[in-house]
Amino acid sequence: MNTETPLVDPDLVAAVRQLFGDKSTPEVVADAEQNGLPTTLWKQAEELGLPLVGISEQSGGSGGTLIDALAILSAAGEFAVPLPLAQTHLAAWLLQSAGLAVPSGPLTVAPGTKDDTIALSGSTASGTLHDVPWARGAGSIVALAGSDLVVIDPADCQITPGTDLAGMPRDVITFTDAPVTVAPSKVSADELFLRGALVTAAQLAGAMEAASSITQRYVAERVQFGKPIGQFQAVQQHVVTLAQMATMTSLNVVRGGLAAMSRPAAFEICCLKQVADKNATLAYRAAHQAHGAIGMTREYRLQLITRRLLAWRAEFGDEQQLALRIGAAVSAHGQLAAVITGGSAEVEV
Amino acid sequence: MQLAATELTAHERELQGEVRAYLKERLPVGSYKLGLGMSGASDPQFSRDLGERGWLGMALPTEYGGGGRTAVERLVVVEELLAIGAPVGYHWVGDRQSGPNIAKNGTEEQKEWFIPRIVAGELSFAIGMSEPDSGSDLASLRTRAEKVDNGWRINGTKIWTSGAYDATHLIALFRTSEHKHEGLTQFIVDRHVEGLSVNRIPFIDGTRHFCELSFEDVILPDAALLGPVGGGWGQNTAELVLERGGVDRWISVMPLLEHWAASELVKNPRGSEDLGAITARCWAFRGMSLSVARMVDDGQSPATEAALIKEMATRFEQECVDIIARHYGRAPDPSSEDQYERLLAEAILVSPSWSIRGGTNEILRTVISKGLAKR
Repeated sequence: MNTETPLVDPDLVAAVRQLFGDKSTPEVVADAEQNGLPTTLWKQAEELGLPLVGISEQSGGSGGTLIDALAILSAAGEFAVPLPLAQTHLAAWLLQSAGLAVPSGPLTVAPGTKDDTIALSGSTASGTLHDVPWARGAGSIVALAGSDLVVIDPADCQITPGTDLAGMPRDVITFTDAPVTVAPSKVSADELFLRGALVTAAQLAGAMEAASSITQRYVAERVQFGKPIGQFQAVQQHVVTLAQMATMTSLNVVRGGLAAMSRPAAFEICCLKQVADKNATLAYRAAHQAHGAIGMTREYRLQLITRRLLAWRAEFGDEQQLALRIGAAVSAHGQLAAVITGGSAEVEV
Repeated sequence: MQLAATELTAHERELQGEVRAYLKERLPVGSYKLGLGMSGASDPQFSRDLGERGWLGMALPTEYGGGGRTAVERLVVVEELLAIGAPVGYHWVGDRQSGPNIAKNGTEEQKEWFIPRIVAGELSFAIGMSEPDSGSDLASLRTRAEKVDNGWRINGTKIWTSGAYDATHLIALFRTSEHKHEGLTQFIVDRHVEGLSVNRIPFIDGTRHFCELSFEDVILPDAALLGPVGGGWGQNTAELVLERGGVDRWISVMPLLEHWAASELVKNPRGSEDLGAITARCWAFRGMSLSVARMVDDGQSPATEAALIKEMATRFEQECVDIIARHYGRAPDPSSEDQYERLLAEAILVSPSWSIRGGTNEILRTVISKGLAKR
């Protein structure tokens, strides 16, 4: 056995699931879709230090490992927590790598789109950044500008509000001669992309676990033709698909996290996000098909989960883009079995 | 359901390197008939050579000559063998499931006789489960074992038994009473026992490993009983864990994938995308098999997990065949001089069997649903 494996503290996971289960109610999530960041819930998460788990205490974080952070993000996905936890993690990680202090409060990061523009002039910046989650509500926006890390105050930006498929803020920000903090970044755009893919996959895994357990419960309770519908083989197929997708995705995230703690792990992360994206599609179809009409309503909890699957499967790479990247690398390497067993120690993706 | 993440230890990676180096020498490309995973060719000499290196019966107890190693170490060896389509057919069933079954349920005498021979690669096992009227509903089987003075008298028919013609032994499930599950008992049967006739049934690709077994007043000694009378159903179920969760469920097509991945056929966007998606999923399945093997080493019997993996991994293998066939550009010729073309033709023809043997996917879904509901 691999005894040095840094497993997650089960007490931490239990406490986090308890908090999210109690406080991230469908009402709270629905309210966040209308009114933005639920500040009470954020404060409760912050009191436990959750947003900055995986960020060192020297940098202002809560300490703990990447695996701990992934477990928290998975639980956030499971309970559709309407907070910028993944974004705060990414922003704090960028700040920490650049040697900057991590402020408290919600943070966000510009994921980097092809339409983004950002021009630095001394300690001011001008530009437009797209698809910035939670720009409304974040204390700081962190972005990469070439090899520099730029910290922007949302108060200095014009924010054009938008949302993702789950109804969470995803905005366009425009700024002109805005005062910014600039530091050389130790993290490249691709490293940010990979870290983003990993944390997004953790959320996807949690959401798939929720879709799976909600569906298992529903088919055991819902009676048609005189018996619970879960006793029909055709319905069992959906239940099985959901369990498969959730189990596979959750395992992959921990494997990827372990790999990322010791090396860049581009291969593992590309694989796990590619698989998570495809699994999200299969899981969302299966969950809705098993539920029938009730699953299509805003009154039933499933949509909080499945809309997140749909949003996250397209963030930080999608099924096709990642498959192309992996495929090109394997084809250049030339030995498939060696790549699968050797991972990023064997192949550069 | 949770699978714990695990990676190979340094020691396990060392074993992987040893196996790789040995196979490169022992089975140079072109020197053997390429196979599709567990359906690999039968080569008794190759099986004995593996036995000599200590790579058969690896997880069996040392007091009977077994390797005393772990399920993960066995996975490491098997993965290397199947990745190159090695001729594993002769020893496959004995190494994967009959050996562990005998080690767990056999008498001292059985363990002392069978295990050293399985470890040496001398024996070839087949599994007698299905009957003409009992397939997915296995518990309805009717081949009878009736207690007589000098042992047990067997009458009935087993069918769809792979590899029985050339096997040295069978492990068969017979009815010893009318109780549905408690009336089933396993026996170890000498392939050449009097009264047992084995007929080959030509398979869809023209090969002849599929068999029908007729038992006509076959007398088996009491010593042929495997486990207690009435214990057969449970033993059979435990065996299925070994049969379902392993790498053998997603790696069968690796020689084809490997050849395709290194060819010009993938050097276009469609090819890259398909290859990338297949690679990612192979990586995912490999992690799942490894976790299941660790669970077995921890003394668990992850039956639901194994069924869950097999149900999707076999479908994945079938998709892989469809994808390679689509990129191939024309229908392959089963009699081609190119061994990869022959193998692709074989895979196209036999791939439906992957989601049938070892439990149909429909039955597995019921097994998984029941398993999940109990959690």
